[in-house]
Amino acid sequence: MVRPRVSNPDLDLYQSGTLVRLVGVNTGYGASTVLFGVDFEARVGEVALVTGPAAAGKTTLTHLLRLALPPRSGRTVILGVDVARAGPDVRAEVKRRIGYIAEDPVFVEHWSAFDNIAMPLRMGGRRARDYHDDVRELVDFVGIGEAADLPVQQLSGAERRRTAIARALASKPQLILADDPTANMSPADGRRVARLLAEMRRVGAGVVICSQDESLAECAQMRRWRIDHGRVTQVDEAAPQAEAEVE
Amino acid sequence: MKGEPIGFDRALFWTLVFAVFAAVAAGLGARVVDRLATGYQEAATNYAVVRVIAPEGPYAVAAAQVALSEAPHVSSAAPMTRGRAAALLRNWGGAPANADELPDLSLIELELAPATPGADVAGDIVAALAQAGVTAEVIEAPADGASANMAARVRTIASWGAVAFGAVMAVIVWLAARGLATRRRELVTVMCDLGATRAQAASRIGDEAAMLGLSAGGAGAVLAVIVAVVLLLLAAPEVSLQALPAMIRPLDFAPLVAAPMIAALAAGLGARAAAGDIHAQAARLG
Repeated sequence: MVRPRVSNPDLDLYQSGTLVRLVGVNTGYGASTVLFGVDFEARVGEVALVTGPAAAGKTTLTHLLRLALPPRSGRTVILGVDVARAGPDVRAEVKRRIGYIAEDPVFVEHWSAFDNIAMPLRMGGRRARDYHDDVRELVDFVGIGEAADLPVQQLSGAERRRTAIARALASKPQLILADDPTANMSPADGRRVARLLAEMRRVGAGVVICSQDESLAECAQMRRWRIDHGRVTQVDEAAPQAEAEVE
Repeated sequence: MKGEPIGFDRALFWTLVFAVFAAVAAGLGARVVDRLATGYQEAATNYAVVRVIAPEGPYAVAAAQVALSEAPHVSSAAPMTRGRAAALLRNWGGAPANADELPDLSLIELELAPATPGADVAGDIVAALAQAGVTAEVIEAPADGASANMAARVRTIASWGAVAFGAVMAVIVWLAARGLATRRRELVTVMCDLGATRAQAASRIGDEAAMLGLSAGGAGAVLAVIVAVVLLLLAAPEVSLQALPAMIRPLDFAPLVAAPMIAALAAGLGARAAAGDIHAQAARLG
């Protein structure tokens, strides 16, 4: 017997390829509001580049999208879930489908980069012999090579950033959030990282990059957004999507 | 997930070892007090010595023994040999006595049945002997109720004191384990970022702390046992290692079993609660 399908507009939105939709969202910390009436969207197979000056609200937008900061008003639908109405377990489940690259990534410092990268896979219940090759592949993909076996506390800033990228990609997330991923990198390293992230749209992920560096837009085709004083505006109307669909 | 032992963990481990060692030592101390008090209580209430005054001679002692076997309150009666008397004198701190040089003491040792409260045990025994034509006196009468109560009170105080001390040690373990969770803050934060629920993060840290508590508890208990055995052998040279198993009662194992388990529980709960708090802070920035 076929069950009648219960209409869920949030899920429908997700299945139509919209990974993130913010409508009139306000949020902030304590008594201060940082984001005002934000309208934003990220789609599958697309890279959204959000640029703006320091203290414009980029990191706050990232925290909102990674479900660390609750919206105060407006509508926030991420991966088919209205996060304002979701309970802690549902929010945690959504977070497991998001790869987050912080501006200053947190690691278990005395573990090796390899072990840090493998952490999402261990949390998912996979055993070392099952994920070893996948993690090695990621290590090669982000180009940290031999450094993967060193404790993270011994890595350079660029190596740490690449380790964070590899960790964010390990669980094959549907949405990748990168907060200033090229900060403190040489222009060449920065472009390489931006290209790495942009590559992820080809495997069906949506990518949101928040950065001060507007030149990242030259690295790949991206939908560009501008954030200033907590207000987000779309710079260009559309960006070509990679040929991928939400499973 | 792996976590290499680091300096803080070693310090925490030895803190837990010490706490469990102290708790087990207190528990074993309470058991020793309990057994000494029980021995005293039994000796004080169930033991008496009768001296036969008249007639004199070994036949009188034999007649008194027969009469005592029928006397109220008496479970058993046995004439005191010279060897036994010499041993008692030594125990009571007297000058070393040669059994062969002791005079005929005309003493009979009695093991008494539990008496009803208010019963005149000595009077009843003397009366029973008088009926058999033996004049005697009870020279070491069973203790009165107050002495027996004092022994019971000492046992209770020792037991509850050990429990209270163990509870204080458990609180120390609980607080120390919260320190472990604080040390694992970065792991909890990363787990939170990667989508672990509060319960998952708390369990991860709580389980680690519980295992640490159990292993440290085991080490502390073993250490306490070693120290206890050494002290016992020093304090009572007549006790041999071979004789020890026969002296141990099942209840003596209670502190050894309970302390490591309580340490594991307290450490697990302390770390779990702290890890949950850290996860909550990481999960909701606003």
